[in-house]
Amino acid sequence: MSPNLSDPAFWSRLQFGFTVTYHYLFPQLTMGLAWFLVWWKWQALRTGEDRYNQAVRFWAKIFGVNFAVGVVTGIPMEFQFGTNWAGFSKYAGGVVGQTLAMEGMFAFFLESAFIGALIWGEKRLGPRYHFLAALAVALGSWLSAYFILVTNAFMQYPVGHRLEADGTLGIASLSSYLMNPWALVQFAHNQTAALVTGSFVVAGVGAFYILRGLHPTQARLYLRAGTCIGLIASVLVAFPTGDQQAKMVGRHQPVTLAAMEGRFESGPMAGVALIGQPNVAARRLDNPIVIPGALSFLAYGHFGSNVRGLEEFPREMWPDNLELLYYSFHLMITLGTLFILLMAVAAFLSWRGRLESCKWLLWVLMLAFPFPYIANTLGWMTAELGRQPWLVYGLFRTSDGYSKVVSNGATIFTLIGFVGLYFALGLLFLYLTGREIAHGPDVAGPVRTETAGGPENSHLVAGRSEGMHV
Amino acid sequence: MIATWFAIAGLMLILYAVLDGRNFGAGMLHLLVARTPAERRQLIAAIGPLWSWHEVWLLGFGGTVLAVFPKLLASAFAGYYLALFLILWCLLLRGIALEVGGHINDRMWQAFWDHVFALANLLLAVLFGVAAGNLARGVPLEPDGTFSMAFFTNFFRTSGYVGLLDWYTVSVAVFAAVILAGHGATYLTLKTEGPVHDRASTWAKRLWMAVVPLFLVISVETAMVRQDQLGNAIRNPLCWLGLAGIAAAAAALVSGLKERRERRAFLGSNFVLASLLATGAAALFPVVLPSTLAPEYSLTAHSVAAGRASLAIAAIWWPIAFVMAVAYSVFISQRYAGKVAVPRDSQGFY
Repeated sequence: MSPNLSDPAFWSRLQFGFTVTYHYLFPQLTMGLAWFLVWWKWQALRTGEDRYNQAVRFWAKIFGVNFAVGVVTGIPMEFQFGTNWAGFSKYAGGVVGQTLAMEGMFAFFLESAFIGALIWGEKRLGPRYHFLAALAVALGSWLSAYFILVTNAFMQYPVGHRLEADGTLGIASLSSYLMNPWALVQFAHNQTAALVTGSFVVAGVGAFYILRGLHPTQARLYLRAGTCIGLIASVLVAFPTGDQQAKMVGRHQPVTLAAMEGRFESGPMAGVALIGQPNVAARRLDNPIVIPGALSFLAYGHFGSNVRGLEEFPREMWPDNLELLYYSFHLMITLGTLFILLMAVAAFLSWRGRLESCKWLLWVLMLAFPFPYIANTLGWMTAELGRQPWLVYGLFRTSDGYSKVVSNGATIFTLIGFVGLYFALGLLFLYLTGREIAHGPDVAGPVRTETAGGPENSHLVAGRSEGMHV
Repeated sequence: MIATWFAIAGLMLILYAVLDGRNFGAGMLHLLVARTPAERRQLIAAIGPLWSWHEVWLLGFGGTVLAVFPKLLASAFAGYYLALFLILWCLLLRGIALEVGGHINDRMWQAFWDHVFALANLLLAVLFGVAAGNLARGVPLEPDGTFSMAFFTNFFRTSGYVGLLDWYTVSVAVFAAVILAGHGATYLTLKTEGPVHDRASTWAKRLWMAVVPLFLVISVETAMVRQDQLGNAIRNPLCWLGLAGIAAAAAALVSGLKERRERRAFLGSNFVLASLLATGAAALFPVVLPSTLAPEYSLTAHSVAAGRASLAIAAIWWPIAFVMAVAYSVFISQRYAGKVAVPRDSQGFY
C-alpha cells in the first residue's frame, strides 16, 4: 500500500493503530501476570509460606505500574470510536456499543474496585480477602478482554446482528453475538499469548536475579513458575488455539488467508512458505522455500484441499497492505516456534534442577522478554491488516467509517500529541519498573517504616505501606 | 424505552460528575488545603482507593451511549474533537499523577506530581464545565446531524455558528470549577482530620457561599440564552421537582457545614450537584444536543436511538451490571471507612 496522505481514513487508522498498539503493551502483561499473582496468593494461603507472599508483594508493584499505564492509555481508545470513527459508530454502534458498555459495566468496575486493594491492601484486607482481590482483578481483566474480543470478532466475522430500517446495524441475538465462534477462538489464542508475555517477564526477572546472585529464593520461584507456565502457554498459543484461529480465517476470510501466505494462485497441495517475499506487482512470491501441501492440510485438513489464491478475488477485496500483513504473520509464527523451543529447554532444565547453573540459557531467558510483546503485536497486526479493507467484514468498508467532520490536520495534531505523551509515559514506566526490579522483592513484611518525606531516604524504593486510615 | 434510556444515560453521567467531581474538587484544592508533603499524601489517600472506580462511570457512560444512542456519540464526539482530546489527556495526567506521585519518596518528585495533579484537576473541572455549557446552549448542528466547532468564533454570540467558548460557556465553566471545588472540600471535611480537615472546612464554607450568587447568575444567563426552552422548562413538573431537590439538598449542606455534621453536609453536596444536573437534563429532554442554527436540526433522543431490539437487550444486562458495580464499591468503601490521618510511615496513596 502506498499511503494516500490526503486520505482522512489513513490518518485515523494510523492514530488508532498507534494508540491501540501502545496500549496493548500493558494489558498483555497484566492479564498474564494476574494469574501468577492468584497462584502465589493461593499457595501462600494453602502453605502459609511467606516466600509466596513476598512474590505477590513484589510482582503486585510491577503489576500496579503496568495497570495504571494500561488504564490511562485505554481510556482514549473508547472515545476514538466517536471522535475519529463516527461513521462506524453510527453504523455499528447499536451492536459493538453493547460489548463496549458491558466491558465498562461488568469488567472495569470489578477491576477498578479491587486493584487498589490488591496492591496496597494486604494488611487491611487480610489474607483471604486479599486472595479474593487478586482473583477479582484477574477475572476482571480477562472479562474485559472477552468483551473487547467479541467486539473485534464482530468486525472480523459479523454474527447476531440485523439491518435496521435506517440502514444501521442492530442486535438480533445477544447470545449469538456474545458466543461468536470467532470470539471464542480469538479469546483462547489471545489470552494464552498474554500468558506467554507474563511468563517470559517473570522468568526473565528470575534469570536476572540468579545471574546477579540476588534474592535466590525468590528468583528460583520466578524461574520455576515462569518456565513451567511459559512452556504450557507457548504450546497452547500455537496449538490448538493458533491453528484454530488460522482455520477460522481460512473459512470466513479466504482472501486474508491467501494474503497472509502470499499465495496468488489457487489449487490443491497448497504449500506453507517458510521464506519468500510477496511481489504484489508481479503477483507472485519471490525466492520461496515452501513446504508443499502444508497449507491445504493445516487450513482444511487434507493435502488435496483447494486453497483459493488472491487471483480468485477482485483486487478491491485484497487487504490493502499485503506485504506488511504477510511479514507480520510469518514473523509471529517464527517467534512462536522459537518460544516453544526456548521454554521446552528451560522447563526441562528447571525440572532437572540444572537451570540455575546454565548461564547461557539464563542470559537468553533474561533477554528474551521483549519478544512476546513483539509477537503479540504482530498477531494483532495480522488480525487487523487482514480485516482490511473492511471495518465490519463484508458489510462496511474502512473508507466509509471515519469522521467526515474531522480534518486531517486535527487528526495529525492529536496523533502527534499522543506520540509525545506516550513517549514521556514510556520513559516514566521504564524508570519506575526498572527501579522496582533493581530494588527487588522485600523480604520484610508488608509494612516498611521509613521517615516520611525525608530526602535522605530518596534512594530507597518506596515500600508503599498502608495504615494511613485511622 | 427511549425515555428510560435517556434517564439511565443521564444517571450515569450524573453519577460520574458527582463521584469524580469530588476528586476534581479535592485535586483543585490540593495545593491549598494540604501544605506539607505528608498532608499531600493524606489528601491523595483520602480520594485513593476508589478513584479509578469513579472514572469508570465515564467509560460506562460512553459505552452505553454508543450502544443506545450511537448517532449522538458519533455526532458529539467528532464535533467536540479537540476539546475531547484535551479532556482525555488531562484524565491521563491526573491518573498518572495519582498513581506514581507517591511512588518515590523524594520531595521534588512528589512536588512535581502534586502540581500536575492540581492543574489537571482544575482543567478537567473547567473543560467539563465548558462541555456542560455547550450542551445547554447548543452547538452548530447541521441538517445532516453533524457539526464541527472552532474553539472560538464570536465571544458575544450564542446562536448561529458559535464556538466552544463564549461568554455563556465560560461562565458555566467558572461555575463548574467553583461548585466542584466546594464539593471536593466538603468531601475532605468528611474524610480527613487534622489541619487538612480544618482548611478544607474553611474552603467549603467560602466556596459554597460563592456558589449562591453564581447559581443565580447562571440561571438568569441560561434563561436568556435558551429563551426558547424557558416555557417548556416552567411547564415541566420534573424541573420543579429538581429545583425542590436542590433546595432540600442545599439546606442539608448548609446545616451540615454549620453544625459540623460532615456526613450530612457531604450528602447534601452530592444531591445539590445531582439535582442541578437532573433539572438541566429534564429541561432538555427530549433534545439531547440542541442546534444553534435551527431548532429542527437538534438531535433528540428519538432521532439518535438505536433499534428497539438493541435497547431492549441492553435493558436486560444493564441493571445486573449496575447492582454488581455498586456492590464492589460498597465492599471496598467499608474496608476503607473512616477518616484518613496524616501518615507517619507511608508514601503510598493508601
